[in-house]
Amino acid sequence: MRKVKNPELWFLVGGLILLGGVFLADHLLNRYLVHILILMGIYSITTVSLNLTNGYTGLFSLGHAAFMAIGAYTSTLLAFPLHLREAYELPLLPAFLGGPEHSWPFFLALLAGGALASLSALLIGLPVLRLRGHYLSVASLGFMVIITTFAKTLRGITRGSMGINAIPSYTNIYWTYLWLFISVYVIWRLVNSRFGRAMLAIREDETAAQALGIYPMKYKLLSFVVGAFFAGVAGGLYAHFTKAIRPLEFSFFLTFQIVTMLVVGGMGTTSGPIVGAISLIALRYVLKPVEEGLQIYGLIELIYATLLIVIMLWRPEGIMGKRYSKIG
Amino acid sequence: MFSLGYFLQQTMNGVILGCIYALLALGMTMVYGILRLINFAHGALITLGAFFTYFVLVRFGFPLVAAIFLVLGFGGLMGLVLDIVAYRKLRGGPEVALLITSLGFYTFIENFMKMVVSPQPYAFKAPSYLTTIFKTSFLTFRTIDIFVIGASVVIMWCFHLFIKKTKMGIAMRATAENLEVASIMGIEINRVISVAFVLGSALAAFTGFMWGAKYGQISYDMGFLTGVKAFVAVVIGGVGSIPGAMVGGFVLGLAEILSTAFLPTSFSEYRDGMVFAILILVLLIKPSGIMGVKEEVRV
Amino acid sequence: MWLLKIENLTVKYGVIPAVRNVSLEVQEGQIVALLGANGAGKTTILKTIMGVTRPAEGNIYYQGTNINFFSPPQRVRLGITLVPEGRGIFNRLSVEENLFLGAYHRSDREGIEKDLSRVYSLFPRLQERKEQVAGTLSGGEQQMLALGRGLMSRPILMLLDEPSLGLAPLLVRELYAFITNIRQEGVTILLVEQNATMALKVCDYAYLLETGKVKVQGKADEVQSQEDVKKAYLGG
Repeated sequence: MRKVKNPELWFLVGGLILLGGVFLADHLLNRYLVHILILMGIYSITTVSLNLTNGYTGLFSLGHAAFMAIGAYTSTLLAFPLHLREAYELPLLPAFLGGPEHSWPFFLALLAGGALASLSALLIGLPVLRLRGHYLSVASLGFMVIITTFAKTLRGITRGSMGINAIPSYTNIYWTYLWLFISVYVIWRLVNSRFGRAMLAIREDETAAQALGIYPMKYKLLSFVVGAFFAGVAGGLYAHFTKAIRPLEFSFFLTFQIVTMLVVGGMGTTSGPIVGAISLIALRYVLKPVEEGLQIYGLIELIYATLLIVIMLWRPEGIMGKRYSKIG
Repeated sequence: MFSLGYFLQQTMNGVILGCIYALLALGMTMVYGILRLINFAHGALITLGAFFTYFVLVRFGFPLVAAIFLVLGFGGLMGLVLDIVAYRKLRGGPEVALLITSLGFYTFIENFMKMVVSPQPYAFKAPSYLTTIFKTSFLTFRTIDIFVIGASVVIMWCFHLFIKKTKMGIAMRATAENLEVASIMGIEINRVISVAFVLGSALAAFTGFMWGAKYGQISYDMGFLTGVKAFVAVVIGGVGSIPGAMVGGFVLGLAEILSTAFLPTSFSEYRDGMVFAILILVLLIKPSGIMGVKEEVRV
Repeated sequence: MWLLKIENLTVKYGVIPAVRNVSLEVQEGQIVALLGANGAGKTTILKTIMGVTRPAEGNIYYQGTNINFFSPPQRVRLGITLVPEGRGIFNRLSVEENLFLGAYHRSDREGIEKDLSRVYSLFPRLQERKEQVAGTLSGGEQQMLALGRGLMSRPILMLLDEPSLGLAPLLVRELYAFITNIRQEGVTILLVEQNATMALKVCDYAYLLETGKVKVQGKADEVQSQEDVKKAYLGG
């Protein structure tokens, strides 16, 4: 089972190497490339989190963008600089969140975004995770629509369809890769524990798992909630990177991108989601000048969709997956 | 505002939207019943049908009857292509694989339209014989309204005859109930599935035409939510039941229009969210839907 | 002359072999019984003959041809009909629709109409209920429907999977009378049963299967008299 003797040590070593790499990148590369690396990191976090629910537990959720939205808006509203709030028509914090004199530090705001996303995952998960495959997918998609509808309508809080701009760019490459490291580690620990084996059993055959005494709901909820947490954090990082967020951005297209990254990279593998995210972001930046130069909007998504179809038809286990490994 | 006239007007709008959903739901449930596949690409056919009709009817001015048959044929052909190129290869595999691939196809077609035709919405100026206005004391309507309702009724009636009386129709019902036994009877399953795709896609393309003509605007992304709502209609009516799909379509159409018509205007933005809230409620309370055919919704 | 011949058949579900190296023969005009406990592999063999399941190894010959790669509809057209375990009728369709489906692969309208009247005269209760939804029929009536549907395909070789399952003893006797009747009309029958007693009374030749292998085979009276069969399956 465990081929590596002391995986924790590898993580430590890997983490240090990562830190070193990030440090070098920050000092040696130009801003543009650093930006791309940050975006790759953020998408990696969210793809890794989706891998937990879709890849390992087999719950095909299509509503992941909702958790990113919740994380994005929450962390933005909490961390928005005090002196700008009125100018940008954002509410002051109520007493139980620190009162009108405060705004939250970035790290805590991210945590709060993740926590709120987790909470909503718990709430929506209880009813929805009982449903079988397709129904779960459509219900989770519906959940995403409902969340974006709220984002559009609760104008007092979210500024409606216009969204929020002038978000301070707190996200830098260190934060991003720190969170990527945390998410990969946490999920890795989870998957390689008792919980992980239970999740895999549920993915393969839920009825059989039940016969073995595994109570599926508990594990499904756990993986759903943890996945949502990191998606929420990714959302917060995203908001403080792109400096502006609108409800439109958290649409099905976002979920589709993440799903494609996951499938192309390899569902249910450790490195698959990261490989998928990096490849597709790289591809996007290669194609962007073509799309804008020739004004053929939709090219990037078209290529993404083509990749997804090709992988599904000819190599469903993804780039990093093993052959004959079951999907979903 | 809450006059009889307003109520009738909104009910008519609800019925029309219901007709569109009903036809879409019919197409979806045929495929779902046999393959257990939510064909997300179904929505793409709405967009394709709308744009196809735009070019044929509005730009090139073909006569109505010709346009109708052309769009039906075009839709059917597209459905067949999808079946042969993609879904046939994945048969027998995990359910999720079909779902993911259908998402891929939807996105492909949507972006193809965006790239090749236009990222901006097009105004669908239906020919004047479809937009002639009739004013009565209670109701104002246009020819297109009668057309949609009339065409839908005709199609649903033909479909009913097909599914009940023809050999292929009975074979489809049998295959939807038990695929293995159906093949033992000598039914060619691949052919049955292709028929389901062709018919369903032709219907979807036709609804694209109706949508464009009725609402006057078409865009590359018009099919997605509508396609998913068609599945909501299937669930409401009862998965696996063909009359259920039609009933579900009407219920959804009426619910969507009437709920936003009679709540304060600020609620109109909740329209899409409302549809999915209804879905979640139905799945939790009465997952077998209105016509209550047995189907494991829960694990 | 054999109508059906199976040679060294091995069928696996995933990695688990359900049928191991089974060989058997069915002569034209015979009733052959496949006996054995649950899980012995009998249904799997029938499904493989029908083409629903693929063999891992081995060959199936019918009327002299190797039909290994024929699809189920192709085999139906050759005259092989399966009456599946648990009836396999379409509960949501009507009695008459079910019967028509039995003749799906045929195109001779007159022949089909004639066969339909024949089935109705054999099973008058089916005619009474012909518009009724099949799921509302009683167990015995459903079995009649399944058999009637089987007849509608004008089978040359009829495969029956546990037809007596769940039937009251009186009906079982009627069932077996019916089976003998069809044989007299020239239909060859391969019969799978857990209820060995009745099957052995009716068949010409029997194979006894245990965990996927043929344990005993022979003429009906030979098999019946064997000690192990008596002990295990006949309660004696």
